Amino acid sequence: MDVKNPIANPLIVLREEFDDWAILFDPDTGNAFGLNPTGVFIWKLLDGRHGTDAIVNRLREEADDVPEDAGEHARQFIESLEKQGLVGYEVQP
Amino acid sequence: MRLMRTPKKMDIDITNRCNLRCRYCYHFESSGDAGGDLPAAEWLRFFEELNRCAVTEVTLAGGEPFIREDLKEIIEGIVRNRMRFQILSNGTLIDDDMAVFLAATKRCNYVQVSIDGSMPESHDVMRGKGSFAKALQGLMTLRRHGVHAAVRVTIHRKNVHDLEGIARLLLEDIGILSFGTNSAGAMGLCRKNAEMVQLTTQERVTAMETLLRLTKKYNGRINAMAGPLAEAKGWLEMEQARLEGRESMPNRGHLTGCGCYRQHLAVRADGAITPCTMLSHIELGRINRDDLGEIWRDHDELRTLRERHLIPLSRFSFCEGCPYVNYCTGNCPGLSHTLVGEVNHPSPDACLRKFLADGGRLPDRALLG
Repeated sequence: MDVKNPIANPLIVLREEFDDWAILFDPDTGNAFGLNPTGVFIWKLLDGRHGTDAIVNRLREEADDVPEDAGEHARQFIESLEKQGLVGYEVQP
Repeated sequence: MRLMRTPKKMDIDITNRCNLRCRYCYHFESSGDAGGDLPAAEWLRFFEELNRCAVTEVTLAGGEPFIREDLKEIIEGIVRNRMRFQILSNGTLIDDDMAVFLAATKRCNYVQVSIDGSMPESHDVMRGKGSFAKALQGLMTLRRHGVHAAVRVTIHRKNVHDLEGIARLLLEDIGILSFGTNSAGAMGLCRKNAEMVQLTTQERVTAMETLLRLTKKYNGRINAMAGPLAEAKGWLEMEQARLEGRESMPNRGHLTGCGCYRQHLAVRADGAITPCTMLSHIELGRINRDDLGEIWRDHDELRTLRERHLIPLSRFSFCEGCPYVNYCTGNCPGLSHTLVGEVNHPSPDACLRKFLADGGRLPDRALLG
């Protein structure tokens, strides 16, 4: 079965500003999207080598008190990034 | 106050050359007028660092950016490194080929063209014969090819009575959405030509009243960050605070006049990194030699500038006894440095008390609309 791993659009700029918060900047449109620290953590793992489950597992390793439904939230977050053209998918055999 | 990890934008004097010598140019004969141009390869290497620092936009200024024969190569470097850009120009060297190129990048926020008159007489007197027609042609060329063109009107003694005509030309005849105004400040060539260029107190009153009236007439389509229109709005606010007996105003009463070095840095044409185009005498380092992020976070000069807002205006003898001291920002540190030789000092040019003492009069508040 093919596994789709999300991969960040390389054109998009991750601009870490204050503390662990950041914005994603799309230079083609000038649009910017705010990310909280969890969003930044996920974004950095959107390298085509991590699936959503692997990302959530890494999150559980790195952070305390990760909610039970974090996987669903992560999926929704990545889907929203995809809808805005910030994320795509590489197909692995 | 929290600081971003890296600057968000950079103001770059991409060239020290210009085809004009406007009588009030802030660049020439200032500290920013610093030798020859760097080759494109230096800028392209620097843009790679800006990319790593997640800088999102650059402003190309000079000199006149369009005088560079390799400007397209430089802009391609900006695009390749995931940034957007804007260009500040006198407009006279913009042709169809360049406008098509700029539009095709899809990264150009705007090109700002200087238009200072509604007719050649009030524009060319300061910028040189034939420059009005060429600047208008440049503006129209940009618009024809879908490049967002912004217009800046610099107000001086020879166009202060042409403001209505300028507004009609730009907003009605050409139909741009809005335009910005400022006035010739006491920097660069303007200092040498002050008598001819800088508004007298009475002309400043005229400019403030006219611009407020025109702004009302054109539903806010005239704006300003500095110059008579900005002063009129700011000073009326200060006077209202005084009349109401307010103790203070938010973020006032200290040297809070500028926070640009919390958002961006500048680079001179010779590659020296400075806090701001208006503070080009302060060299923080050099591109492709010093680490931009380290300069941004750790340079002592920047730290000092960023603490400037903690200095109360009441500390200065210049402000002693001023009824506006708790409502004032001290204005631009670059202008202060030029006029009194100190960055950490209120700018005399922006002083409401001095303006009134010199015979100035504030406009009617009703003009604010």
